[in-house]
Amino acid sequence: MPNAILDPTGTATTSAAKQAAPRAPRPASLQGKRVGLLINTKTNARPFLEEVGRLLEDRYGVTLTQRTKVNFAVPEPEDVIKELIADNDVIITGVGDCGSCSAAATADGVVLESAGVPVAAIITESFIPTADAMAALRGAPGYKYATTAHPVAVLTEDKVRERAAQVLDDVVALLVEPEKAPAAEAGE
Amino acid sequence: MTAASTEGAAGVVAAAPDPDEAQRAIEYCYQQGWSDGLPLVPVSKPLLDQFLATTDKDPEEIIGSLEQVGRDVNVYLAAINAAMAGCEPRYFPVVLAAFEALMRERAARGGGFQSTSGPSPLIVVNGPVRKELGFNTAGGAFGPGFRPNATIPRAIGLIVRNAFGVHPHVLEQATQGLPGRWQVCVAENEEESPWEPLAQNGGVDGGASAVTATLTRTMEFVDNRHTPNHEDVLRDFQDTISRIGSQIFPFSSVALVLCPEHAQMFASAGMTKADVQSWLLERCGRTGAELTSMGKAEVARPGFRGEYEGDEAFHKFLAGPTSIPVVVAGAKNAAISMVVRIFGEWSGTSVPVVEKKK
Repeated sequence: MPNAILDPTGTATTSAAKQAAPRAPRPASLQGKRVGLLINTKTNARPFLEEVGRLLEDRYGVTLTQRTKVNFAVPEPEDVIKELIADNDVIITGVGDCGSCSAAATADGVVLESAGVPVAAIITESFIPTADAMAALRGAPGYKYATTAHPVAVLTEDKVRERAAQVLDDVVALLVEPEKAPAAEAGE
Repeated sequence: MTAASTEGAAGVVAAAPDPDEAQRAIEYCYQQGWSDGLPLVPVSKPLLDQFLATTDKDPEEIIGSLEQVGRDVNVYLAAINAAMAGCEPRYFPVVLAAFEALMRERAARGGGFQSTSGPSPLIVVNGPVRKELGFNTAGGAFGPGFRPNATIPRAIGLIVRNAFGVHPHVLEQATQGLPGRWQVCVAENEEESPWEPLAQNGGVDGGASAVTATLTRTMEFVDNRHTPNHEDVLRDFQDTISRIGSQIFPFSSVALVLCPEHAQMFASAGMTKADVQSWLLERCGRTGAELTSMGKAEVARPGFRGEYEGDEAFHKFLAGPTSIPVVVAGAKNAAISMVVRIFGEWSGTSVPVVEKKK
């Protein structure tokens, strides 16, 4: 009997035990909700999310809170997650426009969802594979987020606002329960 | 079919290994997705055991974690990857020290391995282990041609790929990466260096074997064999270090890998390593106007988010001695040195190589 070739990954024993992360229940509408903006400090992330927040204020009368990520490259620490959960009904985070920050945005999303808070993470289209991989690693394969075209960092102020307006419907759709009425496709 | 045979080192006629079987084993490793693109050494338990026998560490001991992807590296996995990379078992204590040194880097624990920058470790080896294991300490310091220099950084790359699960195009998002990624392990030319070894700057005294590591984005040569004036040469380094393209934050870091000729020139002028660092710390940088003219006005704001200090303000790029570690490497045959761009900042520490207690 020849010797086996050894596996260098260490995953053979651990992958089976992975638990599925639950998705938070959605409110029917954002009307009057507390919306947290979790800004990841990447260039233009702040004006982008602030504009999304402003549009939501206009449209749904939401109350905004704002927080800056401790480190854009990695998921938020537990104490910050706790505060985010306490302070908000839903959370919007981004803009994931790099290898580590796009993955961190989806990781934050999965963690917050497990704690019962719906999240809309916004990442640029270039980082879909890495966002998907991170979500799967965190027990949420197929986790949904919003995308915007890459790049965001070099956009002018006007273009940032334009992009925020474009992604708004996707963000809202991620945060609320889809309407159950069969004629929903005709609405809005 | 003729049975092949070969003359062994001791004059013993040994049967040559079966190449067809070896090729099948190599292909098997490719099919599992374990390879960095080059052939791997298929690892069996007897080979693994030779690696594990070089250290007192428990195979289950966790030696690094990448929290954001939920993966740990233990001694057992590090040994398999080191063996796959082509290391000899006796290199394993250096692999462990190199990995520990690298994981001391904030950028490596954060998103470095996932980064669009695609950074590569710069690994520097000091002490008697250089000669004992057959590291290249002379010409061609950045490779190739020498087994420990070539396989130890490859082992680190395979650990990141396999044990951390950071694969290209998935969790690894390098835009272009850099040539020489997972290939740079320099053994300092202590014999021709006029100064203390790097490990001493990293806190390992007494000439002990030690490894220092940081992440880097690229390297640029400074070829200056044109002047007897050491300050002219320093200004040449200043020019390269002050390049704006590599400046993305208010502060940056470089490793200065000096050839023996440049190092000895500075030492002959009475300069210590610290003097060279101070000279460059004071002068490397650009004015607000220069940064702004290249779209980098952001960089000309203290702390990145401060107010723009004006066109005339001079912005130093290097923050302190750990922003510019100095190493001496290569042959004393030309005045050619390298400015290595550090990704983030060096931890300022070195890790002793710990051999198994006899």
